[in-house]
Amino acid sequence: MKSTKIDPKIIKKAPIASACFMGLGQIVYLKQYIRGAFFAFLEAVMLFFIVFDPKNLSFNFQGPVVKSLVGLITLGEEKRHLPVKLRDHSIFMMITGLIVLIICIIYISTYIFNIRDAKKSAERIVQKEKFPSMIETQKFLQEKAFPYFGILPIIILLAFFTIVPLLFSGLVAFTNYSSPDHIPPNNLVDWVGADNFVTMFSPTVGESSQANTWFGAFGRVALWTLVWAFFSTITCYFTGMFFSVILQDNRVQISKFYRIIFILPYAIPPMLTLFVWQNLLNGTFGPINRTLIELGLIAEPIRWLTDPKMARMTLIMVNIWIGFPYSMILTTSSMTAIPSQLYEAATIDGANKWYQFRSITLPLVLFQTLPLLIMQFAGNINNFGAVFFLTSGGPTLRDTISTQAGATDLLISWIYKLTYNTPNQYNLASVLSILVFIVMVPFAVFSFTRTKSFKEGEV
Amino acid sequence: MSKINKNTTALSQSTIIKVFLNIILLITVFIVLYPIAFTIGAAFTRSNSLASTSIVPWPKEPSLYQFQRLLTPSDQIVSGTTNVRGTNYITWYKNTLKIAIMNTILTVILCTTTGYIFSRFKFGLKKPLMASMIVLQLFPSFIGMIATYVILWRINGLDTHWGLVLVYATGSIPYNSWLMKGYFDSMPRSIEEAARVDGASPLATYLRIIVPSARPQIVFLTLVSFTGPWMDFIFPRLVLRSDAKKTLAVGLFELINGRANDNFTMFAAGALLVAIPFAIIFIAGQKNMLLSLAGDGLKE
Repeated sequence: MKSTKIDPKIIKKAPIASACFMGLGQIVYLKQYIRGAFFAFLEAVMLFFIVFDPKNLSFNFQGPVVKSLVGLITLGEEKRHLPVKLRDHSIFMMITGLIVLIICIIYISTYIFNIRDAKKSAERIVQKEKFPSMIETQKFLQEKAFPYFGILPIIILLAFFTIVPLLFSGLVAFTNYSSPDHIPPNNLVDWVGADNFVTMFSPTVGESSQANTWFGAFGRVALWTLVWAFFSTITCYFTGMFFSVILQDNRVQISKFYRIIFILPYAIPPMLTLFVWQNLLNGTFGPINRTLIELGLIAEPIRWLTDPKMARMTLIMVNIWIGFPYSMILTTSSMTAIPSQLYEAATIDGANKWYQFRSITLPLVLFQTLPLLIMQFAGNINNFGAVFFLTSGGPTLRDTISTQAGATDLLISWIYKLTYNTPNQYNLASVLSILVFIVMVPFAVFSFTRTKSFKEGEV
Repeated sequence: MSKINKNTTALSQSTIIKVFLNIILLITVFIVLYPIAFTIGAAFTRSNSLASTSIVPWPKEPSLYQFQRLLTPSDQIVSGTTNVRGTNYITWYKNTLKIAIMNTILTVILCTTTGYIFSRFKFGLKKPLMASMIVLQLFPSFIGMIATYVILWRINGLDTHWGLVLVYATGSIPYNSWLMKGYFDSMPRSIEEAARVDGASPLATYLRIIVPSARPQIVFLTLVSFTGPWMDFIFPRLVLRSDAKKTLAVGLFELINGRANDNFTMFAAGALLVAIPFAIIFIAGQKNMLLSLAGDGLKE
């Protein structure tokens, strides 16, 4: 088949045709029948689901796509006369709506891609002055398609199990989704604007001057979260560094033995460790109190986990047990990178060990591990396990019954309790989730700018 | 001052420091080992309650009864007793193993491929995708657990292991893809370019050349994603409803939570059976990190 004369106008015509209907330009002007048919098929499917209403089997522009998006806005209508099973379920509607919204976004990007593809193909054809052969096209497709097909599964997974859930919990903050009055399918959930933010963050209730218990609990939990993140990070770090310095001292002979022992806490799943500690520290039956009483060191059992202040201290102490090995490994490997000449020179100058540590080891190690320290701080803000498995957020305080927030609850474990325990306060949990999200953004930016790809200008 | 005098004070001072350092280290060894020793001691105790455990981490009369109780299926009576039922521990163990293996396979396939594509190819939306993945990895995925629950419900994934694995694998994609990308970035491109010049397709190049040569990092990823699900608690508790589907973390939690008085020693036995293999795998996975720690011993 001899190639006919190529009309350079196809560079303009093909994209316009493809903009009118996906794949049209590819089929009519570019002889890309398979690709064009594929695009056209996508558009046909989309149009079908917009126009066709499967419930009434009619073409009335009430298709599932339209209905889902409308549902996302209305969150269903009251249908008291229907049995519970057939009523509108606001939460399902919200999630379906979000999924459809994401599908629409993907569809629109495919549409744009289709137009650009038509333009690029046309340019290539005009440049080469002939239509590519079947084999050429196949090869070209293979090259281009590999990254797209390779990335497709994770896009789908991330969309369904990460993006939709995150968007959903963001949206719930603006609804009244909470028990007992707004739990589907018995009741509907409605948009309430910023009401939940007012409930959580206003110091007083309504117009009155009565103090807001939610705000009180929030202030306490937020403050404790910061205190916890700071101290848990710092204590682990310096305990770890202390031991890595001691173990490098030549006056300690069996340092290898000590190292192996000290690494053990790092190798045991923290959840198990925390449960064991919870029982060791049990006020009446725990072996620690029993031992101390037996030895005559204390007369009364120490309330490790039942006194609010003590519980916070205990939490930080137990966290040192779990976390110091990691910091020890970290600082040790950082110290070995310090050139030994520095120390030799310092020794010749008559500097003692402490002085050497203060002016060589500490600044260099700190400088090198600071980024990791910052990320550890971010991780500790969200350290659900440490709190939940040791104290379950307890002990209870005066406002715990109404707000569910205990003395050692972090924002993250409070979110969990509000979501999981009755009465479920999904809306307030979402307000807190948004807050956690905002707090995490600087850390995300920080870790992002530290990546090699960013530094090399790749991203 | 005579020279000898000075030397003896210096010597005795250094001895004091030496003794002092060793005392600190020995106290720490005690603190580190005490909970571990206590757990081991409790696991071999005949009686069930926390209160009955000996304060010295050594059981008064060593017994394997707790292991027997743990390993007897829940529909049978523990031998040697008349009315004590066993637990589903073996089932939980199998479930956890299954989930860990499924998660490993899925994660390795997805993240290796994604990391490779991120490292070598240019395509539309690459930059926003990579950037958003960095942001995503910082958020605890259980913030969105209600929606995850509903989505799994809608696709019949509740109370199934594959549903849980999908959640796990997705949660680990952002971090692990970046991890693999970093590794591929450091790999020389010459061999694959040669293969491509010889006419191999990208897929064939990837499967025959890239995957085999990335083996060390893939082994690491395998270990990480295998150990990940063992002690996760929130999602199994959310997704898996029936006792026969439970994982170890949930099973052990329900064994001990608020019931230390009748189950603590059995929990200790169960914890030992998890912690020992886990610690071995974990240390194997972190070998490079730990080796660098052990190898530097004498460096000053």
